[in-house]
Amino acid sequence: MDTSVLHKGERLEKVFLNEPSLDLHLVQEAGSCVRIYVINFDSSRSRDLEVFNRIAIDQAGEGCETEIYALAYLKGDEKVTTETHVTHAVGGGSSNQLIKFVLDDKSQGRFLGELKIAQDAQKTEAHQTNRNLLLSEDAEMRTQPQLEIYADDVQATHGASTGQLDEAALFYMQQRGIGKQKARQLLVNAFMKEVLDKIPDSLIPDSLTPLLDSIDGVVQ
Amino acid sequence: MAKLLEIINLHASIGGKEILKGLNLVINEGETHAIMGPNGAGKSTLSAVLTGNPAYEVTAGEVRLRGENLLAMEPEIRARAGVFLSFQYPVEIPGVSMTNFMRTAINEKRAYEGKEPLSAKEFLLLMREKKKLLELPDKLNNRSVNEGFSGGEKKKNEIFQMAMLEPCLAILDETDSGLDIDALRIVAEGVNRLKTPQNAAIVITHYQRLLDYIVPDFVHVLADGRIVKTGDKSLALELEKHGYERFA
Repeated sequence: MDTSVLHKGERLEKVFLNEPSLDLHLVQEAGSCVRIYVINFDSSRSRDLEVFNRIAIDQAGEGCETEIYALAYLKGDEKVTTETHVTHAVGGGSSNQLIKFVLDDKSQGRFLGELKIAQDAQKTEAHQTNRNLLLSEDAEMRTQPQLEIYADDVQATHGASTGQLDEAALFYMQQRGIGKQKARQLLVNAFMKEVLDKIPDSLIPDSLTPLLDSIDGVVQ
Repeated sequence: MAKLLEIINLHASIGGKEILKGLNLVINEGETHAIMGPNGAGKSTLSAVLTGNPAYEVTAGEVRLRGENLLAMEPEIRARAGVFLSFQYPVEIPGVSMTNFMRTAINEKRAYEGKEPLSAKEFLLLMREKKKLLELPDKLNNRSVNEGFSGGEKKKNEIFQMAMLEPCLAILDETDSGLDIDALRIVAEGVNRLKTPQNAAIVITHYQRLLDYIVPDFVHVLADGRIVKTGDKSLALELEKHGYERFA
């Protein structure tokens, strides 16, 4: 595990694209800011490999900001687990997490989201959202949000949902002449865009450009 | 006048319940047909079956579009062949912009017709021209399809899409519901201006009000899954006065 400390007021913004595994532990001092983007989108990967993303954040000083955005698009029999462990030890901080999975074929996804707000961490604002899209009956998603909140003056929300493509939207698009496969792709792209749009332009890695182009290619 | 649509003894059901029970209707090019009837008569089922909504099952009968078997076509093929439905409840599609949606639709139709796709510039010019027809704002392009649109905007957006796609058969399903009088006038004028001697419209409505603006050549009363009476526009006025009781 790679532990690093973000000193007072420091800022870390980083994209992790198709890392075979990620084990990150960050300790945030007062007023520091972390923005992490974890993208798993590589259907050419060796099939027996299971990807494991573990992101642990400790807000150890006042007024820290943490944002975690994760997107996995799985095909074949790919497996991705994403774990987030966010601890607010001190108050006045914020954390926001948006974790999305798109699961096709026989792929399997797992999200474990642990969020702790310590008794002293008053005035914390913490949000965790996990949305998953199943494109196949054989795909599987397991999601485990774990919230432990010991402070009373906080704003904390979490939501998790797993669904399928909206049949009414698919039919609406078909009724306008859009073929079913293309309609499906438009809806999948729309689902993924919410995460991809969070990445600042300056941070978009070259190797992500083909994915963004393929999205634009369909929809432009 | 050439025969555009022919519905012969159409039976359809949803969830095992029969809704259409032997419906017959012929529509020629250049005609506007109003279909009126009490709730539950099968008006929306007819539009769903004509457009290939997978929730409905056709159990008997035929539908021919310019002589071709419409019921054998996938929903998107029916659309590309020129069947357009203005939905009673237009669907919101978050994350898909109107521009991307419409350009995909137009180019899919053009490919079906063996035409080159429109360039970005040609497409945007076409969007601008057609938006004017419906008095829709420029900001429409970047908004997600129907997301956060008011009831009136949704219905205008349906007719805008109709203007873009230039169908040969437009089915307007309760297009007047939820419209105030100004929006109703704009929508109806849009529909009227899209009328040509080659295309036709089916106007499904519960009330006579819309037919003051879109004047039908024929009015049909649909009750219990069949057309039970056909007349001219005066039939709509009569229905407004006496209701559907005698057909129920």
